[in-house]
Amino acid sequence: MHLDRLRPALLPVVAVVVAMVIGALVVLAAGASPVAAATAIWVAAFSGTGAIAATLEKATPLVFAGLAVIVGVRAGLFNIGAQGQLLLGAITAAYAGYRLAGLPRAVHLPLCLAVGIVCGALPALLAGVLRATRGVHEVIVTIMLNTILVNLTDWLAGGPWMEQGQPVSRTPAIVGSARMDRVAGVPVGFLLAVAMAFGVWFVLDRTTFGFRLATVGANRNAAHYAGISVAGATVAAMTLSGALAGLGGAVESLGVVGRFEPGFNAGLGFDGITIALLARVSPRAVIPAAVLIGALRASSTQLQARARLAPEIVDVVLALALLLVAAPIILRWLLRLRPGSSPTEVHLTRGWGS
Amino acid sequence: MQTKKATFASIALAGLLAVSSAATACSSTGSGSAEPAATAAVAKGLPGDCASEQVFCIGLVTDVGKIDDKSFNQAAWQGAAAAAATADGHAEYIETVDPKDYAKNIQSFLDRKADVVVTVGFAIGDATATAAKANPGVHFIGVDAFQATTIPNLTGLVFNEDKAGFMAGALAGLLTRTNVVAAVLGTDKIPPVVAFGKGWENGARFTNPKVKVLTTYHPGGLDVAFNDPTWGAQTAKQALDNTADVIFGAGGKTGNGALLEVARQQGAYCVGVDSDQWETVPGARGCLVTSAEKDIEDGVATLIGQIRDGSITGGNAFGQVGLAPFHDFEEKVPAAVRTKIEGIVRDVASGKIPTGVN
Repeated sequence: MHLDRLRPALLPVVAVVVAMVIGALVVLAAGASPVAAATAIWVAAFSGTGAIAATLEKATPLVFAGLAVIVGVRAGLFNIGAQGQLLLGAITAAYAGYRLAGLPRAVHLPLCLAVGIVCGALPALLAGVLRATRGVHEVIVTIMLNTILVNLTDWLAGGPWMEQGQPVSRTPAIVGSARMDRVAGVPVGFLLAVAMAFGVWFVLDRTTFGFRLATVGANRNAAHYAGISVAGATVAAMTLSGALAGLGGAVESLGVVGRFEPGFNAGLGFDGITIALLARVSPRAVIPAAVLIGALRASSTQLQARARLAPEIVDVVLALALLLVAAPIILRWLLRLRPGSSPTEVHLTRGWGS
Repeated sequence: MQTKKATFASIALAGLLAVSSAATACSSTGSGSAEPAATAAVAKGLPGDCASEQVFCIGLVTDVGKIDDKSFNQAAWQGAAAAAATADGHAEYIETVDPKDYAKNIQSFLDRKADVVVTVGFAIGDATATAAKANPGVHFIGVDAFQATTIPNLTGLVFNEDKAGFMAGALAGLLTRTNVVAAVLGTDKIPPVVAFGKGWENGARFTNPKVKVLTTYHPGGLDVAFNDPTWGAQTAKQALDNTADVIFGAGGKTGNGALLEVARQQGAYCVGVDSDQWETVPGARGCLVTSAEKDIEDGVATLIGQIRDGSITGGNAFGQVGLAPFHDFEEKVPAAVRTKIEGIVRDVASGKIPTGVN
């Protein structure tokens, strides 16, 4: 009984361990010491409050992006646009953060977060409506919106919203009343992310709304037959997904970067897909998954300084872990597990025609 | 997609490095090879006792460029490694992966008591200035980082890229038969890149008023603009399809992609950037008539030498710019063109011919 309950959690853990072992072999092949690499990761990510805060800071946007992807997947939707939504949330929150200077903190900070949430939700809402009413696949729409939003934010940061009197394309700095700091060494944004992970878990796993999304995700026809509005669930899931991504971008601007600058949020939304898979689409599992990836990302400096390793080694390990989670058959073969004894696979999206 | 490709490339590279380092472990290392692995071997990594007065330690941090880009970052690293070798000191580098880590990466060298911190790239300039103000006992060199205000322990190594671009453009204007030349550039968010591009345009028009210049900047963010050889190659291909026959590739690996694409076409010329890319990108030798050089390697080494003898000052130091040798194209470039270009190079360097770029 206990073992059966544990098993779904086991796969990602085993996958990460196996990926790290293979990663160690790659490190060895690169002529570096796996022990030095492991030490570097440990020192960089977890030794001392500063290092832990850095790790949590890296993990924060990943939690939001992971949650965004999960909400979509629950309803059978693959939101690849988390990156674009996150960027829009990041730049609009930064804009509100420097433009609305003079407001009291109790108003300014929540307002900036709300702006990020709403602006992140808008492009996802568009994709959801197109999906629900015209049957346009959300993967296509969100991919294309990513390109549009990357360029839109680049243009805003280098044009109308650019900081004057200096040549770098970036917005002015966010004023103090909208900045998020650390509480007892923990970034406030991370606390918000953890709260959001539990909130999303509650909504998805403990409410009728969550049940409706899951039913639509499992079988649209059955959901329709049961009287659930498939269109409504589709639009709601996409909007919520975009809102989470937008909030992640806002937190990044207000808590870490302190302004919007193109390139500073690169890849965060796409890491969300990695996280969602690694967490096997469970909102609470997003937290350890994001901390793990945050730790690996935070260690890139020390990996180079202490172990003389190219920082790309982290991506190798992550890609391996992802591969092993996404294709459990490899693990089954590696560990000589019998078919059926491994947990059920995660289905990210249905076929194109459905 | 790019990161995936980079990942696989780095696995391959890691494998290659392992093999090559094993192969060269017994031979001497001072061969002057273009591979950064070799220079890394020349430069000893930072030891534990950088705090000691006698031990001279140099730390180098890139912005999001790569140390093996065969031009900008590589030249800076070679300069630092050479200076370390001269001083019998130590040098080490960190490649920044996430721009949010600029300060952290600089700090990791400060924590290890480096005597000199070299930061490479315009984008890391702000973080460098902040670190310099906080650490008056350490001297900083910011390659490509123009200093608007003087910080005593921070020297910006800057170049008149417009002059180098103008010289190369002037040559292109004389060499083109189709009267169409092109520039494939890293992002227009980085002023030195724009200076190269504008200089190239004005230089081409200076020698050839009829010339049409196709200028394309990478549209992506700083994270990809200098690491996208695929885009560079595609853009060069488009330029060739539009009858351009002299193409300037300026922007790290992105520009190198353009050079390598042009090298595959018969009869077209290409122009490299920053370093003499005849040496650093051998695959482009089929088309590489010259490179618009800024001598970063010498600039970094010279400034570090000044730090050691105490003659360095804050503010800006201008490095050398010019045209790289023609190498095998010496004969293919008509003598009249060579004479004319020599004159233009001299007059642009002295300021007698203005580049029209401010």
